[in-house]
Amino acid sequence: MNDFSIAILLAIALFGVLVWLLIPKHKSSRTAPGSFHPDVFGALPTARHYGYFPQVRQALSAADSRYLLETAPPHVAKQALRERRAVARRFLRGLHEDFSNLAKLGRMIAALSPEVSREQETERLILSLKFQILYTLVWLRLSTGTLPLQQLEHLTGLVGRLATRMDEAMAKISALSARPLPGGLGA
Amino acid sequence: MNHLQTLLTSLTLGIETALCVIVFVRRVQRVLPFFAIYASVLLAHTIGMWTVYETFGFHSLTGYYCYWISLLLNAGARSLAIAELCRYKLRMYQGIWGLVWRLLAGVSMLFLLHAAIDTWGQPNRLAIYSLTLDRDLDIASVAILAALLLVHNYYGLSLEPLQRIIAAGICLICAVDVIGDTILRVLFTGYLSPILSANSPPLWSSLQHQFERVEGIWGTIHLICFMAAMGIWCYAVRKPIPVRIEAPEMLPAEVYRELSPAINLRLSAFNDRLAELLKP
Repeated sequence: MNDFSIAILLAIALFGVLVWLLIPKHKSSRTAPGSFHPDVFGALPTARHYGYFPQVRQALSAADSRYLLETAPPHVAKQALRERRAVARRFLRGLHEDFSNLAKLGRMIAALSPEVSREQETERLILSLKFQILYTLVWLRLSTGTLPLQQLEHLTGLVGRLATRMDEAMAKISALSARPLPGGLGA
Repeated sequence: MNHLQTLLTSLTLGIETALCVIVFVRRVQRVLPFFAIYASVLLAHTIGMWTVYETFGFHSLTGYYCYWISLLLNAGARSLAIAELCRYKLRMYQGIWGLVWRLLAGVSMLFLLHAAIDTWGQPNRLAIYSLTLDRDLDIASVAILAALLLVHNYYGLSLEPLQRIIAAGICLICAVDVIGDTILRVLFTGYLSPILSANSPPLWSSLQHQFERVEGIWGTIHLICFMAAMGIWCYAVRKPIPVRIEAPEMLPAEVYRELSPAINLRLSAFNDRLAELLKP
């Protein structure tokens, strides 16, 4: 590929990316930090999907799987296990959303802070990139059936603790603010 | 210049004049002074080049030098307009701006350095120098605007409509210029280089017609895109522009100092747990 082809491809690619970035996202719930809706923090739960874990755990329990394999016809058991993995993948997607919300909260706070630490921001960016890679790998292992479903329980336990601590942190934000922050922040 | 080129240049001059008039009537210079200067430089460039071509001829040496030098002046004015665009809203977010301006300055320096090195290695001809520098500055402009948009997206900030439309126009001009400059550069330094350096009139005269034809087609495409970009800018500044944009309400500095490490710690723990899942 010569210089000419590279430049043209680069120009087209860059222009495409810019057009994509420039198009306003009407469907997105994006809110500029400078114009927070009163419920913006309320609409940004840090761990919403964690709440559904007991039901998911029941549906994915090892005992259930064993029972299915022992009693149901092979094709029915196979089908059921496939569907369970699909449920697990959806749940994992939900956990991804929880992670994204937490990271987004961090970015919002950074945007509204008069001072920002380069180290903290770089660390968060790296953590987010790392999470994307790990999430993809876990998702692939879950899809191929090489990841025991029970292991998800540990992950969810972490998200649960995270939710509690973030609620405490939200209360701190309200306490630290000179005036009452938009509703829902400390709730 | 042929009839089509004269027509297109007249149209360009008309749109540039309209842009300048709108810019100064709407007092855009109070909000975006470098963009107003850029719009004026574009108009001055077209009027200046027209005058030079009319006086000295389209293929004159004076026209040649004036064109390539003014091309660099345009690129310089555009770079300042881009820098201003970067600062326009982000400066309201003191913390982010303090972080981002270094990043954008770093990206700019990197591309300028590349442009300087790339230009340094070229044959000693003004056209090649200007082409290479202009192309690399165009790439740098697009890269900086891309970085700016990514930063906005990452921090969930919305671009002001004016900022967005001006950026889109600059991107269009830069992307078309990158293609055009590269085609010309490849021709000058590659396919046509032996003919030009050997100073062989018979060979050149056989190719000159085709070369001028291709150049004419490209010139037309370039001018149309350029006019489209200016049309986009005219649309952007058609309404009065607020002198002050609404400043965000900032949180106390302690909030970030306390919460940011805590959030990162949680995110890190989350990653550790995901990594554990992958262990055999």
